Amino acid sequence: MVPGTPGPASPGTTVEPQGAPDLTPHPAPKPKDAPRTMRDVRLAREGRRKTAPRSTANPLREGLRLERVPDPAVLVLFGATGDLAHRKVVPALYQLWRTNLLPHEFVLVGIGRREYTDESYRAEIRAALGKYARVQPVDEEAWQSFAERVCYERLDFGDADGFDALAKRLDAFDKERGTRGNRLFYLATQPSAFGEIVAQLGRVGLDHERHDGGWRRVVIEKPFGHDLDSAVRLNREVGKVFRERQVYRIDHYLGKETVRNLLVFRFGNGIFEPIWNRRHIDHVQITVAEALGVEGRGSFYEETGASRDFLQNHLLQLLSLVAMEPPATFEAEALRDEKVKVIRAVAEPRGADVERTVVRGQYGPGWVAAKSVPGYRDEPEVDGSSETETYVAARLTIDDWRWSGVPFYLRTGKRLPKRATEIAIQFKQVPHRLFQDSATEPDPNLLAIRIQPDEGIMLRFGAKIPGLGIDVRSVTMDFTYGSAFAVDSPDAYETLILDALLGDASLFTRADEVEEAWGIVDPIIAAWADAPAPDFPNYEAGSWGPEAADRLIEHDGRRWRRI
Amino acid sequence: MVEGPSAPAGEGSRSAAVGEILAIGSRPAGSGRIVLEDAPRTGEPTLRWRSRARSIDQIEQELARIWAEPNLQTIVEGEPGRHIAARTSVMNLVVIARQPEIGERCAATIQQLTGRHPSRTIICSAADPDGPSWLDAAIQAHCILPREDAPETCAELIYLTVGGESGRHLDAVVAPLLIHDLPVTVWWPGEPNLATEPARDLLGMADRLIVDGSTWSEDGLRRLGDLAALLEDSRLAISDFALIRQYRWREAIASIFDVPEFLPYLRSMRRIAVAYATHDETGAPGSTNLVKPVYHVGWLASRLKLQVERPLRPVTGTSKPARGSGPPMSRGLAATLRDGRHDVSVVVRPAVSPMPAGTTLRIELLADRRGSELRADVTAVQEAVHVRVWLDGVEELDRTFRAPRWTDVDLLAQAIEVGGREPITVEALRMAAQLAGRTAGAGPDGGGAAGEDGGDRQ
Repeated sequence: MVPGTPGPASPGTTVEPQGAPDLTPHPAPKPKDAPRTMRDVRLAREGRRKTAPRSTANPLREGLRLERVPDPAVLVLFGATGDLAHRKVVPALYQLWRTNLLPHEFVLVGIGRREYTDESYRAEIRAALGKYARVQPVDEEAWQSFAERVCYERLDFGDADGFDALAKRLDAFDKERGTRGNRLFYLATQPSAFGEIVAQLGRVGLDHERHDGGWRRVVIEKPFGHDLDSAVRLNREVGKVFRERQVYRIDHYLGKETVRNLLVFRFGNGIFEPIWNRRHIDHVQITVAEALGVEGRGSFYEETGASRDFLQNHLLQLLSLVAMEPPATFEAEALRDEKVKVIRAVAEPRGADVERTVVRGQYGPGWVAAKSVPGYRDEPEVDGSSETETYVAARLTIDDWRWSGVPFYLRTGKRLPKRATEIAIQFKQVPHRLFQDSATEPDPNLLAIRIQPDEGIMLRFGAKIPGLGIDVRSVTMDFTYGSAFAVDSPDAYETLILDALLGDASLFTRADEVEEAWGIVDPIIAAWADAPAPDFPNYEAGSWGPEAADRLIEHDGRRWRRI
Repeated sequence: MVEGPSAPAGEGSRSAAVGEILAIGSRPAGSGRIVLEDAPRTGEPTLRWRSRARSIDQIEQELARIWAEPNLQTIVEGEPGRHIAARTSVMNLVVIARQPEIGERCAATIQQLTGRHPSRTIICSAADPDGPSWLDAAIQAHCILPREDAPETCAELIYLTVGGESGRHLDAVVAPLLIHDLPVTVWWPGEPNLATEPARDLLGMADRLIVDGSTWSEDGLRRLGDLAALLEDSRLAISDFALIRQYRWREAIASIFDVPEFLPYLRSMRRIAVAYATHDETGAPGSTNLVKPVYHVGWLASRLKLQVERPLRPVTGTSKPARGSGPPMSRGLAATLRDGRHDVSVVVRPAVSPMPAGTTLRIELLADRRGSELRADVTAVQEAVHVRVWLDGVEELDRTFRAPRWTDVDLLAQAIEVGGREPITVEALRMAAQLAGRTAGAGPDGGGAAGEDGGDRQ
């Protein structure tokens, strides 16, 4: 019985004297749309009761399957003269415009510290599109109409007057270009500028959503902090100005077609989910391998390293998508709730555990793609005795009912033999080996989800070799996006920017996800800081990482997949 | 490269071609490998193989032979090239083409989709209905190279010309050629005779029917009734290019009521008026295809759960001549819908315009709520749809939606990407047929299309 709840009156029980305090708990007031009768409850459970009040839904929106055009809006791009803007953001916007997915009433305001006029900025991004537009050559007609919507504003992020002027110019666009007060602020700057920009936006009231529907959203590029404390601090600074529902944290991996397909694969097919658990899966390997080195970003990489640059975000995001429970609905909050639950259930390696379950590495000189490449310590802007890791491998476990006892092996590194991102689900060996006399023992089944390159899915299973005997060999069933759908997939930035303009946060990272992920990575970094200096470099460029990474998985009787 | 079927020739020439697989290239003596004339170009479908057959059995044999060919490797400039991939199919696409030129046009459209929706395509034409039964098939494989480093993806195209009595039993010809377990889509350009027995038999094995209601003769409303009747009699999913084309109009109209202030007016609609282009100076009923304007009303009415009180009928009287002089202009058709409490008047009226006949020029909505009036005006402007909204006479919204005209490739891609019956299409089509008075059991004015058969036969 619930404490405080009166039980049934038994013979001889005295009645509480009048005036005694009423300890019977009052039922909490019901929300307006809470089920009332048993019939209501049943209908609600059957999903037949509408959750949204009828008056708030536009019935004409129902079933408009084709891509919805976002509301008229201004996209304010901070860091507009930077590499990210030129390589990714502007080409994505141009492509969306070219394919009629941006509203007619759209304006791109580039913000930067350099002196540009509207005309000279347009010329610069036109040149960038010549290099980075996904579809070449650039369609001149589409470019001309896009260029009419591009302008530039020179602004120092600390310049309060400049932000006042920006606010006025944006208001003017509402009148002149019909952008209706909708603003998307895209922070493609150095992370150190995020807090200042957000504070300035708040100071001039650019965070305030209007009663007539003018929305305000802010897109923040990773890294979201460099440890748990800084992430909490950044979230707090952003949270002082914008509400969480206005904040869109981009991890571009989540916009990749194959990653989005992972959700369809898991929850749109009936045959995989029943075996997606500890009873059938032996272990999971997630690999994000890069053949590139630090590519002139030595000073940036010195401060981040593989654990901050990839493990905290891309790898843990992929892990959460593989391991999450099915969300109740395909809506942003439901999806992100499930992802957070999984990350929260990851057992954090701490102290001595880190040595046993996490391996770090740094590349030395070697050969990649038939070219001699320098070691990390010989890269520009890198300390000659740097202890920054360019490789990390980890064995993580998820303490929940579904995954208990199933190790997740994660690895990422630079200067590995090839660029490849893959999730491999290794199923358990059959319980009884029926074909022991076969010349080749069949391998356990394996499902590999290739994220890049050659996006697709491969299933490995045993098949009988034609002949009189019973010899078994592993064969693969391969699905490749390239041959099943011989069309280009949209770039991740196209997907994510369009989603942000439409107000769909499903593929963006929530504040608590970021903090939970730092909660896993922080103790690892702390343990390394306490440990003796690593014996770096410990792997040759062009190899698959340090030998200790092989030992990490071999210790469990397993081995890394050869990709 | 597109090669259609040759016209049925004499018996001798037919038999000469049977069973011979022709690579588009050559096989040097003793090399065992095909040397292709051209290196494949990324993203462009290329004809790789062709053959002919005179019976269903021969077609099956030829298809098997194409894919069993052991030397599917290209040699370009003396160097071994890529392996040509095996067949890829995600569906069976059956095209009913009354004339060979329609079939070729459809084939060209389908080839553009080889990459996105590789399918086994069967293009059927019937010929010489009073002669003896015969069959002529041109079999082709078209391949596309998605990327430089990827294998080619190939799909099959079969041109079937069927003569005599066989032409009236296309279902019996097509059925054995379908890849089992893959969905069957029937694309029926031109004027389909949906109410006939052969058509019903053919559609009985299909999962989806694709038509273009805007190309139908006269006002097109009789066939619209036939199409709607299929919904009731079968589980067929239906796609109509005429309805798909209107997506940007629907987006534009829906966007008006995304504004919270305007949303309540949606439940207080009083008038829906659609103006369409006609080339007929009188705009007389029956002179111009009305399917697209009627779909607009059908979609709106079905989304708003309106009921047809009185179907479309000609408005009596005429208006001023379109060009100041000449014959007076028809005032179009009018109908009445009901939302339970109020009537909603519907007007579909012609306007002489150089735009293609039947094209929607303007949609006007009028809503009246608690003494306040909302008027919305949605117009076609070149390659855009323009929305303006007034609240009690004050302009509140002015927005433009870019709406470039879709090609048949875009429309076909949209049609076949829909899985299963789309409730929005079903309800809009059903409502459009009711508005046109073309549902089974409709009154004498309604035409009773389900029992009619005035169209031409295959």
